[in-house]
Amino acid sequence: MNWPSALRTIVVCAILIVLHYTLRPLLSWRASIDFLIVALLVGAVRLRPGAAAIYGFALGLLSDSLGVSAFGAAALGMTLVGFAASWLKAVFFADNLALNGFFFFLGKWAFDLIYVLAARNAHGSEILMRVFVWSPLSAAVTAIAGVIALSVLRPIMEVQTA
Amino acid sequence: MASAARLGGRLDAGLLAACVVLSLVAIALPGEAREPIARALRRTVVAPLVGLEEGAERWRTAWESSTARQTLVDSAAMQRSTAKALAFENQQLRKLLGLGSRLQWGFVPAEAMHSTAPDEDIVTSLTITAGTNAGVAKYSAVVAPEGLVGVVKNADPTMSIVVLYTDPDFRASAMTADGSVFGIVYPHQGGVGGGGGAPGASSGGGSNGGYLLELRGVPYRNQVKPGTLLYTSGLGGTFPRGIAIGTIMRELTSAEGWTRTYLVRPAVSPASINTVMVLTAQRVTQGTGNIWGAVVNADSASRGIAAAGDSVTRQAALLEAQARRAALDSVRIATADSMRRLLGVPDSTRRDTLSRPRVDTTPRLRRAPAAAAPVVRDTIPVIRPRP
Repeated sequence: MNWPSALRTIVVCAILIVLHYTLRPLLSWRASIDFLIVALLVGAVRLRPGAAAIYGFALGLLSDSLGVSAFGAAALGMTLVGFAASWLKAVFFADNLALNGFFFFLGKWAFDLIYVLAARNAHGSEILMRVFVWSPLSAAVTAIAGVIALSVLRPIMEVQTA
Repeated sequence: MASAARLGGRLDAGLLAACVVLSLVAIALPGEAREPIARALRRTVVAPLVGLEEGAERWRTAWESSTARQTLVDSAAMQRSTAKALAFENQQLRKLLGLGSRLQWGFVPAEAMHSTAPDEDIVTSLTITAGTNAGVAKYSAVVAPEGLVGVVKNADPTMSIVVLYTDPDFRASAMTADGSVFGIVYPHQGGVGGGGGAPGASSGGGSNGGYLLELRGVPYRNQVKPGTLLYTSGLGGTFPRGIAIGTIMRELTSAEGWTRTYLVRPAVSPASINTVMVLTAQRVTQGTGNIWGAVVNADSASRGIAAAGDSVTRQAALLEAQARRAALDSVRIATADSMRRLLGVPDSTRRDTLSRPRVDTTPRLRRAPAAAAPVVRDTIPVIRPRP
């Protein structure tokens, strides 16, 4: 990856991270959009797996620092999701927006599962409720938002060559 | 190439393992240990993001409360406008109640419904919600707490049409508060600066929404000062004496040289008429007394003429009274002299008293009536016994 391309990717990821802390509070939905996961997946597919793991770890720490408990759970989840996304980058390079949306959905759901298991905040049926109800809803919303963000930000990421 | 790939793969795996281990260590750290790390992150890297999130929260709260706040503001504005109208209506009704308590009887209260005819430039009539069923009759006087409104033109069973003082055909006999000046009130035609002219509807100018009146037929010798209050005089039988008509504004140039015309600001504004009172015929006959602050009704026509007439009439009346007293004095003296002649007593007649009038009666009349006239010695006969 060359530097201009890297710079564009950094800009897009920064925009998505800012959206996570601005648009997300504005919407304030019960099943909220996770722009951090979108930013992680967009950046991870353009990095090596190791770098993607570090990128995920950093993003996770940022998210954990604002949490009351379960410090490190988001870092673990994003580390694994980032590594997996980079490892499966061939799939993410598909131009099909629906396919990309599906992997946003998978990435978010996987993160929530890891987070719930690592944080150990919920017990019994609450885990099931979070994993099989709220998490899929949040994943779906994240997928839709990710697809829209990709559509909007694609001109920044892809340079038209004459 | 393959070794590079393998090396890269091992590196990635190592990095993954390191990140996973660090994450597990962070999870396993006790609260006292991980809090400083979290605090350090919040105060450095995460601080700008937290600021963005705080601003977004404020935006959301403002957006959510703006609708409720706008609803509150709209409700308050509507209540305020309603309160103003209610306060005005309350004030009007209180005035009407006050007028009703002062009148006590002989009136029919009614609400006024203004005409909404689009072709009317000025308001000359209005409909009231009382009719013959309530005691309203044609040509009944219509008043408001402030003063004269108009006269009933048509009376139906449940409603009536009132002709306002702005109607071109409206007339009313008016007088000043002290009863010294009389005249006829007409609707004023033209603006405030216009002179007196043919009677007609008022248009433009004026501070009473353009509606002004004229007081005409005031004798030239009488001059009315601006600010003088005008009341109905009771002459004509339509309006009882003492209803406030308006206030003199200034004199207008009159085509007739022997009378003066004045511009009058009406006491009642047609736009503010909401509730009125219709005076019954009995009440008109009995009069309204001093309700609007006018002079009490006079009990004799001569006193009214003498008090309200012009200076010439007053002077003529005074001279007539003096002559009457002089004639009575002469008759009294002649009668006394006749009695003396019958008794054989020398009378008091003198040549000079027969040829010319007694001059001392005139000064006596100019003194106060209670002052006693001086005794003239030669008019008292001296009775002397016969030799």
